[in-house]
Amino acid sequence: MSENTLQYIDNNSIFHRVDALSKLGWVLIVVIFTFQFQSAEARGIMLASLLMCALLFARIPITAILRASPLIFGVAFLLGIFHLFITPGINTLFSLGPLTATQEGLTKGLEFFFRLAIMVMASFMLIWTTDIRELMVGLVHLGIPYRYAFAIFMALRFLPIVQQEVDAVKAAHAIRGRASSSPVRHRFRLWQRYLFTVIVNGLRKAESTALAIESRGFGAFPDRTYVKDFRWTFLGIVLMFLFIILGTWLIFWERHLF
Amino acid sequence: MTLPLMLVVNILIVAVLGLLAKYVKVGSAETTAGGFNFNYTTSDLIILAVIGAIAGVVNTGTGIVWNAANAAGGPLAGAALQGVFMWAYLLAFFLVRKPGSMLIIGLIETTMEALLGNPSGISTIGWGITQGIGAEAVMAFVVYGNFGWWAFALAGAAASQFGTTWTAWLFGWDSTPEIVSAYWTATPINLISGFIFSGLLGWWLGKTVERTGLLRTTRKK
Repeated sequence: MSENTLQYIDNNSIFHRVDALSKLGWVLIVVIFTFQFQSAEARGIMLASLLMCALLFARIPITAILRASPLIFGVAFLLGIFHLFITPGINTLFSLGPLTATQEGLTKGLEFFFRLAIMVMASFMLIWTTDIRELMVGLVHLGIPYRYAFAIFMALRFLPIVQQEVDAVKAAHAIRGRASSSPVRHRFRLWQRYLFTVIVNGLRKAESTALAIESRGFGAFPDRTYVKDFRWTFLGIVLMFLFIILGTWLIFWERHLF
Repeated sequence: MTLPLMLVVNILIVAVLGLLAKYVKVGSAETTAGGFNFNYTTSDLIILAVIGAIAGVVNTGTGIVWNAANAAGGPLAGAALQGVFMWAYLLAFFLVRKPGSMLIIGLIETTMEALLGNPSGISTIGWGITQGIGAEAVMAFVVYGNFGWWAFALAGAAASQFGTTWTAWLFGWDSTPEIVSAYWTATPINLISGFIFSGLLGWWLGKTVERTGLLRTTRKK
C-alpha cells in the first residue's frame, strides 16, 4: 500500500515535453473517437497506436506497462467476456455449459474490451507522463479558482502520508496480536478502527496545515503565482492534431468512405 | 433510448429520496438554518483534501473488486458493493456543512483513485461526479440543514443509485434487454447498499469524530 501503483515517470521524452492540458485534450480526443468507431479493427489500430506512443514517444518502460496490464486489460477483458456471453445472436460460435457465445456477442465483446482498454491506456499514459501539479496549474489557467485546485494539490500531498499511516496503524494492530485471517465480523471491526484512527489523525493534520498556510497569506488575493507557470506547447497541438487525423482516417476507412 | 430513460428514472428516484428526506421525519435530527453558503474556508478545503486522500486509499482496493464484479457479472454482481464508496462524501458534508462539498470530495476522491490505479482509469472521475450530484440533490431538498441519520442515509442511497448511470454508460448496460432487466432488479440492492454503507456509515463516522472534540476549531461560529 505504501507505494503508488501508478507514478509519474520522469524521463524527459517527447511526450513529457507536451503541456498537461494538451495531453488532457488528447485523452478526450482518443476517447471521443473510440466511441465513434464501429469496427474492432479501427479500435484495435487505436489501441496499437497508443501502445506504440507509450513505448516510442513516451519511453514508458515495458516493465511498467506489463505491471499495469492487469489494470489496463483485466477489467476490459472481463467486460468483453460478459458481453460475449450475454449478447443474444443467431450465429453460434461455441458453447460452455449453459453459456453460448455468438458472432454478435463476439462483436459486442470486442467493442467493450477495446473501449475500456483504450480509455484506461490513454489515461495511464497521461498519469505516467504528467506531473499532476502541472495539470492543476493548467486547469487554473483555464479559469478554475486556485483555492479549489489547491484542494487537489493538498490531497496529492497527503496521499503518501495517509498510505504510511494506514500501514503504521495496521502494524500497530498486528504487534498487539490481531489475526489477519480472523472472521469477517472481526475484520470489519478492525477496518473501522483503522479508518477512525486515520481519519482523526488526518483531521488533526488538516487543522495545523490550514493554520500554517493561512498564516503565509494563502487565499488573501484573487490570484496566486506558481513556481512553474503553464504554457501551451507546439508539441501538444501537434499531438492532438495527429490523433484527430488518425481518428478521422479510421472512421473513413472502416466505413469505406474513401 | 434506454440510457436516457435510465437517466430520467434515476433522476426521479433521487427526487423521491429528496422528498422523503424533506417531508418524512424519522427520529430526532440535528437541524441548522442551512442555506447555500459556498464560502469555503482554507480549513474546509484542507479537510476535504485529507478526507479525499483517505477515501482514495481506502476505496482503491474495493474499487478493483467492484470493477471486476461489475464487468464480469453485470449489474447484479456488484450491486451489494455499490454503496461502499460514498461514506467519505457524507462524512465530509457532516464536517464541512456546505453545499457542494460532496461533489468536491467526489472529484478529489476519484482523482486519487485514478492515480492509485483504479482499473477504469480517468473515467473513475465520472462516478465521483454522478455520485456527488446524487448526494447533493437530496441534501438540496433539505436546504443543507438536516444532519440526522435519515437524511444522510437517503443521500447515501441516492449517491449509490445515481452513480450507476455512469456505470451503465461505461459498461454498456443498455445493450440487451436482459442486462437492462438486471439493472432494474439491482436497483433496490444499490439503494440499500448506499443507505447503509455510505449514508449510515458516513453519518456515524461524523458523529464519532464530533465526539472527539476535533471539530471545535472548524465549528467556531
